[in-house]
Amino acid sequence: MTAISLSAIEKSFGTTSVLNGINLDIADGEFLTLVGPSGCGKSTLLRILAGLEAPSSGEVVIGGQTVNAVRPARRNLAMVFQSYALYPHLTVLQNMMTPLKLRDLSLTGRLPLLGPVFARGQYRAIVEQVRETAQILKIGHLLDRKPGQLSGGQRQRAALGRAMVRKPVAFLMDEPLSNLDAALRIHMRSELAELHRSLKTTFVYVTHDQAEALTMSDRMAVMMDGEILQLGAPHTVYNDPQDIRVAEFVGAPRINLLPGSLDNNGYARCGEIVLSRAATQGVVGSVSIGLRPEHLSLCEKGTPEALSGQVVHKENLGADIYLHVSVLNGSQRLVVRVSPHEGQGASFGQTVHVIREHGRALVFGKDGKRLDIRTAGTGNVAEVA
Amino acid sequence: MQTAKAHWWFVGPALFLMVVILLMPIAIAGALSFTSYSLGNPGAEFVGLENYEKIFTRSTYEKMFGATFRYVFVVVPLSVGLGLGAALLINSTRRFGDLYKTIYFLPVMAALIAMAIVWEFAFHPTIGIVNSTLERGCGSFLESWSWFAHGCERGFPLWLTDRDYAIWTVAFIGVWQGFGFNMVLYLAGLTSVPRELYHAAEMDGAETAWDRFRLVTWPMLGPTTVFVVTISFIRSFQVFDTVEAFYPQGGGPSKSVYVMMFAIYEKAIQQNLMGIGAAITVVFLAFVMFLTLMQRWIVERRVHYT
Repeated sequence: MTAISLSAIEKSFGTTSVLNGINLDIADGEFLTLVGPSGCGKSTLLRILAGLEAPSSGEVVIGGQTVNAVRPARRNLAMVFQSYALYPHLTVLQNMMTPLKLRDLSLTGRLPLLGPVFARGQYRAIVEQVRETAQILKIGHLLDRKPGQLSGGQRQRAALGRAMVRKPVAFLMDEPLSNLDAALRIHMRSELAELHRSLKTTFVYVTHDQAEALTMSDRMAVMMDGEILQLGAPHTVYNDPQDIRVAEFVGAPRINLLPGSLDNNGYARCGEIVLSRAATQGVVGSVSIGLRPEHLSLCEKGTPEALSGQVVHKENLGADIYLHVSVLNGSQRLVVRVSPHEGQGASFGQTVHVIREHGRALVFGKDGKRLDIRTAGTGNVAEVA
Repeated sequence: MQTAKAHWWFVGPALFLMVVILLMPIAIAGALSFTSYSLGNPGAEFVGLENYEKIFTRSTYEKMFGATFRYVFVVVPLSVGLGLGAALLINSTRRFGDLYKTIYFLPVMAALIAMAIVWEFAFHPTIGIVNSTLERGCGSFLESWSWFAHGCERGFPLWLTDRDYAIWTVAFIGVWQGFGFNMVLYLAGLTSVPRELYHAAEMDGAETAWDRFRLVTWPMLGPTTVFVVTISFIRSFQVFDTVEAFYPQGGGPSKSVYVMMFAIYEKAIQQNLMGIGAAITVVFLAFVMFLTLMQRWIVERRVHYT
């Protein structure tokens, strides 16, 4: 079932066009991530969905109902902001009560001092609901504190709590983890994913961090320059990027791109190396050959099809070592992932030989689109390595 | 030891100036208030609490307190409220914001003594624009208002010289003159309210402007309000120039506009009764101190400072 559907959304600020015809269907209960570099329009898209921003054209449908003219308060969406946007003068309890108070209480019930007297029963129910939510998020002991007295992670939870109490149709999250330190961010990634599993509510999550998108989402939409370049499950987007920009953006360290060309038979070659698979579209000309660092490995001198080069930099991450190797007479740099054992010997300035894992290379045409390459059935075996 | 004296060189100048130009005058005023000193006299007689007794018993001073408190308790709430209202309105417009700011701030910049002359003309019973405008309303539906009908029949009030209206008219000019200043302070306060809080409020279901004001704007303006209210209190306690411009002969119709500052001026400067003048000054100082401390105390516990 489609919970939210955006069709032909366009947005421009003055003459600057930010979103160019976005179409996106979000399934009920899905964790969808909008990921892209800053300025790609992902936050704007989320704000259009929330109703905080009006699209220049296009339609926003939530639960089968067009909500373009419905104000944010009535869309029953909850949002977690990058800065958390907790009310600094209210305690965590009061912060979390706010959405319920505004929804459930009449004007008299919300009166500053008399409200709790008039609507005693409702107040009790609201506090009860808040306490339940606080229990889930493990912030029960922080309810009497003000946001200023909380750490970043606790504020993050309080903001989540404020979003959760109302049991909204969907959660919208605008880079909620970017203000946390690295360790906490990684921890919160798994916690958010678990929360999503237990709530079974739709999550729309905006981030510029491809790692967050890969680790948490059911589907991710890679956005760039106001367009969705690719929408799919994280492993599809990573392993099967349809655009060179997607391939470059997703994956850290970045994919290695080598300049190459397609010959008349459709084989992509880069210097001496010829890929064993041929393009089916029959285009000829220059291409980019993409190789992920984990698909490269070190090999003995003299191995056919190996690239040789000097180690110019070595990054030791503990579990892995990334070697930066300058190849093709220093014109290109390859990042190679090696195990600590393998990498031990490699030192700065040393010449190493790098071989690719066959069948993994991605070929992108001049326009940046992925070229379909397949293993040819016939006798070009001589060129296959 | 050399170092033991160094600190005096750091705090000394400031301490000296503070004592000489701030604390000493207050102490001298306090001391004078117990005497019957007048300027030029070689000595002064110690009269004990006699000056204070006069202040709290004589009807002139009763009128002084009445006028001062009427003025203060009209001008402070109105100028703060109007300042906030104007700031919120200006903040919500996209166009002409700067124009409105300038217009509302004009009375603050203008010399009040010059403006007083303009107001004196405006309120003039026969040639003033105020009463002549009111007279045009005679014969219309406005006459169903009994006050208005009365005005049409017997003439509209002599705003500045009727003892029932004088203090309120002066207070009105005080509000007119003061709220632009408060507006500027509130505008500055409004710029520091994070936009995201409004978005969060909107997402939380704050649909009406009042809900958003209650939830975000008013609490976030708390520190500004403390400052604005304190400043307004002090400024309106100190009102002097309008009174002096309108009623140089002392305190308006049957002393109904005899505010404290004017009383100090009249007693100590015009009549050269330094003792009683000093006593009023001390009482004045006590009032301002008391009010300032009071509202700091009330507000400190309720206002959120980020």
